[in-house]
Amino acid sequence: MEALKIIWQIAYREMLILWKNPIYGFCMVVFPVAVILFFTTLMDEGVPTELPVGVVDADNTSTSRSLVRRLDAFQSSRVVAHFPTAAEARHAMQRNEIYAFLYIPKGTTEKLMASRRPKISYYYSMVSVTSGALTMKDLKVISTLGSAAVGQATLRARGATDAQIQAFLQPIAIDLHQIANPWSNYNAYLSTVFVPGILMLFIFLLSAYSIGTELKFERSKEWIGMANGKMLLAMLGKFLPQTLIWLAIFFGYEYYIYGVLHFPHEGGAWQIIFLGLIGVLSSQGFGIFAFGLMPSLRMSMSVCSLWAVLSLSMAGSAFPIMGMDSPLQSLSWLFPLRHYYMVYQIAVFNGYPMLEAWFHLVALVCFALLPWLVIGKIKNAMLNYVYIP
Amino acid sequence: MSIFHNIAEVVSDAAYIWRQEMRQVFRDEGVLIFFIIVPLAYPLLYSWIYNNEVVREVPVVVVDDSHSALSRQFTRMCDASPDVRVLCHAADMDEAKSLVSRQLAKGIYHIPSEFDRNISRMQQTTIGVYCDMSLILTYKAIYQTAVAVSGTMGAGIQMKLSRPVTKREAEITVQPLAYDDVPVFSPGGGYGSAVLPAVLILILQQTLVLGIGLSAGTARENNRYHELIPIDRHYQGVFRIIGGKFLCYFMIYAVMGAYLTMVVPKIFSFPALAHWQDLLAMMLPYTMACIFFGMIVSCIVRYRENIMLLVVFVSLPLLFMTGVSWPQSSIPPFWQSISWLFPSTFGVRAYVRMNTMGATLNDVALEYRLLWVQTIFYCIVACLVYRHQIVISRRNALVRLDRIGRKLAVTEQLRRRKKK
Repeated sequence: MEALKIIWQIAYREMLILWKNPIYGFCMVVFPVAVILFFTTLMDEGVPTELPVGVVDADNTSTSRSLVRRLDAFQSSRVVAHFPTAAEARHAMQRNEIYAFLYIPKGTTEKLMASRRPKISYYYSMVSVTSGALTMKDLKVISTLGSAAVGQATLRARGATDAQIQAFLQPIAIDLHQIANPWSNYNAYLSTVFVPGILMLFIFLLSAYSIGTELKFERSKEWIGMANGKMLLAMLGKFLPQTLIWLAIFFGYEYYIYGVLHFPHEGGAWQIIFLGLIGVLSSQGFGIFAFGLMPSLRMSMSVCSLWAVLSLSMAGSAFPIMGMDSPLQSLSWLFPLRHYYMVYQIAVFNGYPMLEAWFHLVALVCFALLPWLVIGKIKNAMLNYVYIP
Repeated sequence: MSIFHNIAEVVSDAAYIWRQEMRQVFRDEGVLIFFIIVPLAYPLLYSWIYNNEVVREVPVVVVDDSHSALSRQFTRMCDASPDVRVLCHAADMDEAKSLVSRQLAKGIYHIPSEFDRNISRMQQTTIGVYCDMSLILTYKAIYQTAVAVSGTMGAGIQMKLSRPVTKREAEITVQPLAYDDVPVFSPGGGYGSAVLPAVLILILQQTLVLGIGLSAGTARENNRYHELIPIDRHYQGVFRIIGGKFLCYFMIYAVMGAYLTMVVPKIFSFPALAHWQDLLAMMLPYTMACIFFGMIVSCIVRYRENIMLLVVFVSLPLLFMTGVSWPQSSIPPFWQSISWLFPSTFGVRAYVRMNTMGATLNDVALEYRLLWVQTIFYCIVACLVYRHQIVISRRNALVRLDRIGRKLAVTEQLRRRKKK
């Protein structure tokens, strides 16, 4: 009973601190909401459409023009310009006017009619990753279709049926099943990792900041005194209000992407709620641990921010961990976001049983328990250290 | 006092502030981390992470219900491709699924029992490809390999069916319209060489803003009255303060900028096509705009640590707004206009196009001009903001003087100290 009272008193004091210092309001509510809205609205389309591409049509016949028209009709490409030469088209790429261009040399149609196998080329740039991959896909389909059209016309003239034509043109078809995300929606890839990554950044930083500022504003003795020197009560009381706010933000974010935007999630509500809970607790654990390790506000916050920024790459959501060097593969275990991402993709995105992600769950629980190791050091710092700017 | 004398005084005060600022930077380890260590170490770290550029040998499971020579050929050819590795054969789809759920494999190739029979009957046959969609790059590897292998095998089947007389005829039958795909500028098509140049330029801006903010925070906290501008003979005009601080930061970042834009790409052999004259011309307004931008941001900061809370998290949104991973043409207009506020948007675009795509300064004229516009605009705003700070600290000083002035003895003491 006594313990509960102490926790409540410290929590009440903490709430006043959170209310009085505007930086908490900004970093716990305003910025996270802004980041959530930024990522979800930025990639609202899901897949980029109407990417500007160019055409160098030196042939200029009805066949080549129909090829260009067909390219324009694709969802992700839009033909914005015709260029007289390939050099000029390349120049337009350097000026960022187009992402790719199709080059149809003179005499293409003529050679096609005479069965002399003309060659068309397309030039694309992988400098912008997504647009490069998408324009390449469209241009490839166009060329294949061009070939198929000729074959189809020849076969039809010989009297083949449609089924025969199809079997001849494409003897082996690929039946693609994109499990869990059939639209290959980029928003569902990036917003589900980068937003939690930035939320974790804020949790890291504010956990270290809120302990460090006790020292900085010379309130630390008062804080420990309220708990009668019992660090467990002091920590519980201090972080209870923060945990609740973080959980509200995290659950709000999860409700927004799964409930309102309907991001793909094979896993049920319990998995999602559990993931949010363990994500918040493990990041708080890391933040407190970082401060305990280096009880200086500046150093611990620097470490937290550098770690959090790195974890966005080390989560392995954009460039997979399996493609990195092996030392990095082991290092990735040190980042809570990596484990969060693995649990997310196993249990929520693909809907496999939670048990398959046991290793990552254990790791997250360990992160949440890390403060245990340094709690004595934090107490010592609170009672004896003096803040040095 | 002649005008020359005035100018000489401004210059000497600026030089004094320059020295003071430089000393403060090197004494403060927090600032040193962001000014020196992060710009030196982060690029190396990122280059290491994205070193391999592409994903090879993605593990897949094969469920072969056909057990025919052709289905085995398909499996062999997939295994031989650079991007995919056949982990094992599974007896049925359930077993394969459990392998995927345990993260041992990233996809399944399902070859149905009628695969071979359909081909012999001259009917179209299908292969089921099931991809774990949690990673775009592995999905692409699995799908594109299946497409390529089925295309090659299909071409073989077509050739057998059409019984061409010559090899040339066979080629024409299979593919009457040939095509060439040419990835220009970054032929490796790797993830690292696409993202890293942008990260390098962004690091420059973020560390500058963090460092300036931290050192301003320290100055404020060390000041007795928590003011940014100390009451000092040398700190009496906007231009000398801005000029002095600017020179200090510019001196450090001229070195850092050269390291990031010239040395790092060389070490990791990323494309580096820009001419040094063009690069210099672009980096000059970019660094200046970043410094003035940092000075403005630093005025908001009350406690030194708050700058980290404000600046670090915007790095990722800023990276996305440059258009390096999400195409610029697909960024909604609202975020486009927000992105114009930050020097990094234009800096990254100009640098990537010059360095990776070999554009000249003419090709990035728009970004180049906008960087100068930002420099001038932020310079003016920085002057106004600092002027405001000076006014505040003067006013507060006067209030204090007035308050203390009543106590004559104390005033005497204060005056003596000021003269000293």
